[in-house]
Amino acid sequence: MSSTFQRLQAQVETPVNDHYTVQLRSVCKVYPQTRFSLLDINLTLRQGDFLFVTGASGAGKTTLMKLIYGAERADRGEVRVAGTNVGLLKGNRLSHLRRKLGVVFQDYKLIPRWTVSENVAFVLRSQGVPKAEIERRLQPTLKLVGLQKRADCFPSQLSGGEQQRASIARAIVGSPKLLLADEPTGNLDQDNALQVLEILKKLNSLGITVVITTHDMGLIQTVKAPVAQLDSGRLQVVPAEQVL
Amino acid sequence: MPSPRFQVPERLKLVSTKLSYLLQETLRGLRRGGWMNWAAISTVTVLLFLLGVSLQTSWQVSGVLNRLGSRFEVAVYLQPETSGQEFQSQIAQFPDVSSIEVIPKEQAWQDLLADLGTTDIVGATEGLGENPLVDALKIQAKSAVAVPSLARQIARLRGVENVQYLDEALKHLTQLNRGFSQISLGIIALLTLTAIAVITTTIRLIVVARNQEIEVMKLVGATTSWIYLPFILQGITFGLVGALISWGLIVVTRQFIQAAFAQQPSFLRALGEGLQLTPWQTMVLPLILVGFGSIVGIIGSLFAVRRFASK
Ligand SMILES: Nc1ncnc2c1ncn2[C@@H]1O[C@H](COP(=O)(O)OP(=O)(O)OP(=O)(O)O)[C@@H](O)[C@H]1O
Ligand SMILES: [Mg+2]
Repeated sequence: MSSTFQRLQAQVETPVNDHYTVQLRSVCKVYPQTRFSLLDINLTLRQGDFLFVTGASGAGKTTLMKLIYGAERADRGEVRVAGTNVGLLKGNRLSHLRRKLGVVFQDYKLIPRWTVSENVAFVLRSQGVPKAEIERRLQPTLKLVGLQKRADCFPSQLSGGEQQRASIARAIVGSPKLLLADEPTGNLDQDNALQVLEILKKLNSLGITVVITTHDMGLIQTVKAPVAQLDSGRLQVVPAEQVL
Repeated sequence: MPSPRFQVPERLKLVSTKLSYLLQETLRGLRRGGWMNWAAISTVTVLLFLLGVSLQTSWQVSGVLNRLGSRFEVAVYLQPETSGQEFQSQIAQFPDVSSIEVIPKEQAWQDLLADLGTTDIVGATEGLGENPLVDALKIQAKSAVAVPSLARQIARLRGVENVQYLDEALKHLTQLNRGFSQISLGIIALLTLTAIAVITTTIRLIVVARNQEIEVMKLVGATTSWIYLPFILQGITFGLVGALISWGLIVVTRQFIQAAFAQQPSFLRALGEGLQLTPWQTMVLPLILVGFGSIVGIIGSLFAVRRFASK
């Protein structure tokens, strides 16, 4: 993963290239109401990369994710995913891009009235996938996150960690190329956190680009991966080797 | 290489997947609507019932008017012992006359008896001694404006007993009909707005209740039409159900009225026949109700999702 770092280091000089899966160039984002700002963010991820994003609470980790999946737009600079400028996408084209992404939301966004199966299948239903295909994909996905026994439970009947894993299942059931996991271990104890991390590493080994935000330094140390640190609105990349 | 034959089922499967999804989601929306569904459906029903009834009435009135005769017609009744044939050529010389039909008193008598429901012509004639009627002429004027002066000219001829034209009566009837149409048009416009408002409210409540779902749908890549089409379909359902109910009500009332007329003496029965719709009108009326209902449903639901969809 040191090659990842070299690329991340060279990011400023790297020309915009459609080859990269994710590319942020001189991105600025300001929330006028809270006077919060991300300043001149540069980041390049290639297919199969694994990156931690860390920073204090309120440092802008979630905002960075939102910029990538198009829930927020950059005020300056550009965010490219698979070569397309996310900030310019609208309507159906944005929808189709999002099908290539899996997002684990910090607040899960599970629908309380639906079972785990329904919540996970919902992604495929929303994309118009046939029923048989949904059935076929559902079980392996739930098994991967260890929730096959909880398939028919409602979110309120799950522990925090199980909810988190349900939201991971939902993020990966559509076979995304890029997985954005916002504090996927936020509510988990050490054992569960490691378990989730194992899942994400496994997905990464299958070629999926994985971005994880966390403020758990212990977690970062268990994986040799580069860390992007958000501080005062700026992003600084620390190579895997230098992570303490 | 798969033959093209095998591609058709695949595509069919996709279409059926989409259709069953839309149907399921629409049903889910309807279940969520609860009693609000009925509020929406009953407003649409009242609207469409009124629309249907006033449309039908205006058709019926013009049907009756047609039966009463054309606005261009002047009826001339001659004095007894005067022959209609003699007058024909004389009247044909008036410039405003477009055509003349002679009705000999024998034919008029038969028609009258038939109208009264008697078939025993000989018996009836004997009862009265002789045919009490006179020869008549039906004259078509070239324009409605010319009718009054033409009538006056003919009335001056010798041998003419009486001249009648329906102009005045028709004018009143037509005005009445027009007034009625305008009032019902006003009410229909108001009811249309009400129906749209009720549908909008009903569907918006459901959209708001499912806001969280919709947000997640957007985030996982559902297209706008995929998200909002079920709501539009729900609106159309309101329109269709309303059209069906109001159509049923209209048919039942019409049959009821016609049955009432059928019990009456024959000349009222003849009027009742004037109330009958042509086959074309009978077919078009439900189509109009369905079309109008769907349009109201679509507009109402579009208003309900518009603000959300554009987000
Ligand atoms: N929609 C918004 N409007 C205004 N300000 C916002 C909005 N969203 C986030 N912010 C502000 O931006 C800052 C960064 O928020 P963000 O959610 O990105 O932080 P974070 O790094 O994910 O924090 P945490 O670790 O607590 O999840 C916060 O100070 C927040 O108040
Ligand atoms: Mg956050």
